[in-house]
Parts: sequence; C-alpha cells; structure tokens
Amino acid sequence: MKIFTIRLFVVALILIVFPFSCKDITGTEALYPYVPTSVDANAGTWLPIVLTSNSQIVVPAPTAPNSAAYLAELASLKDIQSKLTSDQKKTIEYWSVGGVLRWNQIFRKLVAQYNLPPVPNPDGSYPTPDAENPFSNPQFPFSNPPYAARAYSYVSVAIYDALKAAWYYKDFYKATRPDSPYEVDNGVQALMPKIDLPPYPSEDATMSGAAAEMLKVLFPASVEEITKLAADQRNAALWSGRATSSDITAGLNLGKSVAGFITAAGTGRFRTDGMGAAIGTPAQWKVFENDAITKGEIPWISLDVPARPPMLPFFGNVKAWNLSPAQIVSERPLPPPSTSSDQMKQELAEVKRYASGVTREQMAIVHRWADGAGTYTPPGHWNDIAEEYIRDAKFSEVRAARAFALLNMALHDAGVACWNTKYFYFNPRPTQLDPSIKTSTGIPNFPAYVSGHSTFSASASTVLSYLFPQGATSFSSMADEASNSRLYGAIHYRSDCKEGLSLGKRVGGYTVNYAMTDGAN
Amino acid sequence: MTRYLLAVSISIVSLYSASAQTITDHLMMPKKDFCTGFMYTYDQWKNYWEGSLKRDNQNIGTLTTTQIMWVGNYGLTDKINLIAMAPYVTTKASGGTLVGLDGIQDLTLAVKYQFLGKEIGTGKLSAFGVGSFSTPLTNYTPDFLPLSIGLQSTTVSGRVTAAYRMNQGWFVSASGSYMWRSNVSLDRPSYYTDGNIYFTNQVWMPNQFTSTYSIGYHKNALQTEINLTQQNTLGGGDIRKQDMPFVSNRMNFLKVGVLGMYYLPKPKNFAVRAQISYTVDGLNVGQSFSVMGGILYTFHFAKKENQ
Repeated sequence: MKIFTIRLFVVALILIVFPFSCKDITGTEALYPYVPTSVDANAGTWLPIVLTSNSQIVVPAPTAPNSAAYLAELASLKDIQSKLTSDQKKTIEYWSVGGVLRWNQIFRKLVAQYNLPPVPNPDGSYPTPDAENPFSNPQFPFSNPPYAARAYSYVSVAIYDALKAAWYYKDFYKATRPDSPYEVDNGVQALMPKIDLPPYPSEDATMSGAAAEMLKVLFPASVEEITKLAADQRNAALWSGRATSSDITAGLNLGKSVAGFITAAGTGRFRTDGMGAAIGTPAQWKVFENDAITKGEIPWISLDVPARPPMLPFFGNVKAWNLSPAQIVSERPLPPPSTSSDQMKQELAEVKRYASGVTREQMAIVHRWADGAGTYTPPGHWNDIAEEYIRDAKFSEVRAARAFALLNMALHDAGVACWNTKYFYFNPRPTQLDPSIKTSTGIPNFPAYVSGHSTFSASASTVLSYLFPQGATSFSSMADEASNSRLYGAIHYRSDCKEGLSLGKRVGGYTVNYAMTDGAN
Repeated sequence: MTRYLLAVSISIVSLYSASAQTITDHLMMPKKDFCTGFMYTYDQWKNYWEGSLKRDNQNIGTLTTTQIMWVGNYGLTDKINLIAMAPYVTTKASGGTLVGLDGIQDLTLAVKYQFLGKEIGTGKLSAFGVGSFSTPLTNYTPDFLPLSIGLQSTTVSGRVTAAYRMNQGWFVSASGSYMWRSNVSLDRPSYYTDGNIYFTNQVWMPNQFTSTYSIGYHKNALQTEINLTQQNTLGGGDIRKQDMPFVSNRMNFLKVGVLGMYYLPKPKNFAVRAQISYTVDGLNVGQSFSVMGGILYTFHFAKKENQ
C-alpha cells in the first residue's frame, strides 16, 4: 500500500515538473530602450498638419537654471530618486522604450477592446452606441475598421503635431534651459536613455497630454485607464531624471492644448470632419438600394441575423487627410462586374471553389489577416507591422510620431476612399448571391466592392515602403497576402481584392507626396 | 472475466475534451485482455454562456459536433492498464455563414494503475491513479471557435479515483483530475483576451480541474450509472458581449449523464454502450445535449495460457 502510494506521488511529480516547466509566454515585449540615431533637433521646422504653425500654442519661458524655483525642483527630484519603489522603477522601465511606440500599443489595445458590434434587441432591432452615454449597453464606441482608422489617425497626428511644437520650443528656449536635470546636477541619475535635447518642454509630458486628451474623446469609457497611463508617462519622465516638474507642466499644457485645438467644439477638425453624419438614416440607406436597382444591379443586404444596419454608410464622405473630396471621387474605381454578368458568374464560381475547400496554409492566411470583431482591425495590424521597423530604425520620438502619423493618415484616407466606393456601388457579398457559400471568417457588414483589407493594406504598404525602402518587398507581399485572404475566406470576389489594392496604392501615394515635402527629409 | 469488457468506453464528451469512461471509472481490464471499439457521439447546442450570460445566437443557430472515436484498452497486468483514444470530429453551424470543419483531433494515451483493492464490509473499496497525455494529431486550427474541432493544446493530467462497490452490485465512485495544458499557437500575431492585448501568437492556456461522481449498478453483463461532471478552468477570460469564443476562455460546465452498458450473450466478446449527457450549467461553453453509442470487442490474448 505504502509503496504504491509513494510510486503514485513520484509519477504525479514527474508529470507536473517535466512537460510544463516553461509555460510562460515569452516574447510579448517587442520593445526595448534605445538611444535614437538622430535627435532631429530641427523638427520644430517641419510642417504642422493640423496646427497653423509649430508656435501656434504659446509656451511660457522657463525659469533660469540658477533660479530658486528650478533649484527646488532639482532638490525635489533627487529626493524622489532616493526613494524609488520597485513599482516606480517598473513604470520607468515601461515608458523607457519610447512613448510614441507605447501609445501606439495602447491605442491598439483600446481599439481591440471596443471593437464589438452591439447585441441585437429581442425584437431584432439594434441599439446604437452613444457617445453621450459610453458606459451603457451597447458600449461606446464600436471601434470597427473605419472608426479605428480615423481614431488611429487623430491620435497619431495629435502626438506628431504636439511633438513638433515641443521641438520648436526646445530650440526656442535652449539658451535658458539647455541641459537635462542629470546634466545640470550630477546628483540626478539618468534612468532612461539620455536624449541630447533641451528638456523644456518635456516631450514625454507633451505626448501624454496630446494622446490622453484625444483618446479620452475617442474612448470615453476608458477615461480612468487613459488618465493613469498619461500620468505614469509623466512620472516616468520625472522619476528617471529626464525632466523636472516645470519641464513636465509646460509639456503637458502644450500637448493638451494641441489636442484641445483638434477637438474644440464647433471648430476643431475632429468635430467638423463629417463623422457625425457617417451613420445616416434608414431613409438615406434606402437610396443606396434604389440606386443599385435603378442601375439593374442586385443591391447589398446585411447577412447578419437579424439584419444589421450597414456599417457607417457615409464614412466615405468624412474628410480625408491628403485627398480632397473631389480626389476621393476621382480616385473611385470603375464599377464592379454587373451582378448579372458572365464575369460575375466566373468570379462567384472562383469564390465557391475556395468556400468548398481551402488548404491549411490558406486558412492560416485567412486567420492571420482576419482582424475582425474583437481585434485591433486591419489598420491596427499595419501599426503592429510598422512598430518593429520604427524600433529598429532607432527613430527619435518626433520621427517615430511622423511615421505613425503618415501611416495612419494614409489608412484613414484608404478607409474613406474604400467606403465611398463600397456604398456608391452597394455590391452584394458572394454569399448573398449564392447562399451555399460558407466562409472561413465572418462576413463584414457592408458591401463587397472594393475590399477594405486590400485598400487599407496597399495604402499602408505604400507609405511604409517610402519610410523603410528596405522593407518594400515584404510590405508589398504582406499587402497581397492580406488581400488574397479575403478571397480564400470566401467573403470577396477577385475584382474586390484587385481593385482594392490598386485604390489603396493610389491613395497611399497622396500621403507619400505630402511626406516628400514636409520638411523632415 | 467477460464483464471486464465494461471497462472500456467513453462516457463524457465535453465540447472539446474527450475524457473517457475508462479513465474515470473504477474498473480494470485483466492481464492480456485488449478491448477495442468505436464510439459515435452526436452533440448539439443552441444556447451558450457568453461569460455567465446564457443566450442564443442566430448567426450560429444550432451547433452540432459529431465524433467518431477509436478506443483501446490493454491489460498490461491486472493492476496496470494502457489506454488510447483518437477521435475524428466534425462541426457544423445551422445558422449564419461560417463553414464547419472536420478532422482527426487529439490522441490520448493513459496509464491506469490500481493501487488499492480492499474488502470492507460487504463490498470492496478500490482506488486508482491515472496519468494521461494528449496531443493533437493534426494541425487543425484552434482559432475558429465554436467551429474548431479542438483546442490544439498538448496536455498532461493526473487523476485519482476511489470507488466502493457492494457485492450485490451497487457502487459509488468519485474521481478528480488536474490537467496541465500547453500554450497554443495561433495563425495571427496578436489577440485580445481577458482585458489585455497580447502581441504574440502564443496563448497561455489555464489548467483545469475536473471532478466526476457516479452512482450505479454493475453486475455481470450490465452496468448502469448516473454521473455528474464538473469541469473548472483555472483562469482565462470570459467571452465578451457579441464576441467569438477564444481558445483560452474560462470554459466551465456541470454535466449530468446516464450511462448504460451491456455485454452481449451473442456474438461472443461484443458489448454495446450508450450514454446521454446534458449540460446543466456553464461558463463560456454551449449548453450541449449529447448522445453517444458504441460497440466494443475484447480479445483475450491470455486465454490459451490460462486454460
């Protein structure tokens, strides 16, 4: 008996220890601290995007290095550094990889968190997320791909414009406050990478203000989490010896003012870009349907059960960053094959072939790029891809912000151009024409032509190829794969994918044209 | 010895774990007997628990999972049995547009060891330890729930079972197992679950504790029982509102089952087995009703030596 029991325990112990001794997920932290290749000291001269000039927001002059106020700040800083807790050190470590990269991860997380469609009511209708009541059911927002594309672009642009303004004032006040605290007083330690730039105003505080104020408007129900992260970033700048409290106050005010300018009621770009009208009314949706019927086409219908209102049908009229409304129209692809044409029959047959059997590798491609409900969306995926290139290039904060701003402006513009096309043609999904077509990913709740994934991906690939030419081949093949994934998944025709890629490439070109003249080269 | 045929079968088909009766029960195959056969299970649900909220979803309709499982149990000695199982699983949703999947799922190998057998009063108390290992046999996707055929995790579990059987045939038994589950790889580079975003394709799988209780009658060619199974996943996130299920969700359930097994007088060495089970309560699983039927055959390799 005793021997049996002992043997049993030995067996159990082996089972516990042996196979699962290393079960932790490794490699989740893609970022690490680095010293930028260049500090981009002249970024205060780069063109602003939303601001009228980099000096538009006034930043008051700092106190002199030998003033009592500044000396008191240094003394306080040394006192804080002498008592750092392990939690505070973790906060420093978290932010030391670069604030721009971190905020990009944070807003990808928020998008994934809020990217869930409303649950149908018992009577088959759907509630609409309400910005005035974000904590209720349904939660606000539903950060679907167009919402997300626009959100990524605003946060990225706000951070970028705020940082250029910060760089402007760093240069402007460099005679008064040329050195970082750890350079002024050797009793202050540098616990984050040393950046050879004047500390006033603090770039970390600037971006904390810009990012947090934009995110609070976009994801109001997460105000507590956003506010805490922004405070952490400022604390990390202080605790690490990179900035004193006056550097931080000046940066915070600057960043908040930039976001405030963008979101100002009645006048801010964010309030006047047409997003408020993007949902429209059932009467307006009916017009799309009637137009398609008039043209002799089968109009799109929602394949959700119960049928769901179309996703942001007037997003195609939202203001783009680098295309005028006329250019959005002139870049619109030619019509898809008629729903009654032979070409459409052939394309439908091709979709059906994929529906009745994809290889395991094709299914992996479908799922790799699905980026559907509950994820950071295709624009988020391309931010994920950009992250490692920005990190490897060791970009300064302001240049990293530029890369994300350019990428996300192009993704937003791709969203606008794509949605404009989708609702103009109001073309049905393959499964609508042939209900026997089953799909290996969810069917998005909007018309087929052209593919959103293809448009987003080609625009991102175009901009990233400009920023990182060494990755061009890889970006382009990823865009092709993302595009094909929709055909393999049996939710798009080949025309949707092909024309989407072409549209995305053209749209991305507008942002590249802007980038060539923005003063950062 | 024919009644030992009863020792092999599967009684509980939880949605994604194929636990076998033979692993949880209080019976052993005698030395050099090999019992093998096929079990067919038809499992379906319309309602599911989204976290703790019970609901239906017209974009899934009724989800049907069918399974054909090969099972084998060999008596290495009277006290040590070697057990193996491998199912072929097919899924299908009656509503919505998502495609059903099918394929060979996971291989389970187990060693069952009787470490106690003692006459007490008018019955016998016995106790068993089981070590099991399971691993996917094919590269099916775990990231298309509820239509994935499995979770793609390699597992190791330890189980202890105790049973008391009175000589006239009535018995009670209780069994508990702890399952370690390996990380799972997805085809995508990022996912959101349990309030966090992960920038990796690796998913940490919480371990599981499962307990099974049964009461029944087992004498000669007949075995019947009523059983209760509670699976608790020790961690993992809930399915969010209107989201799809995720591989590492906290999948818990309480199932009741009724099992019947009968050794046929003719043809010799054949037995039939049937079970129904119903999910009474759960978290992040479907409220499934399943029916299982199977046929088994026993080879007596030791027959010649013994006679």
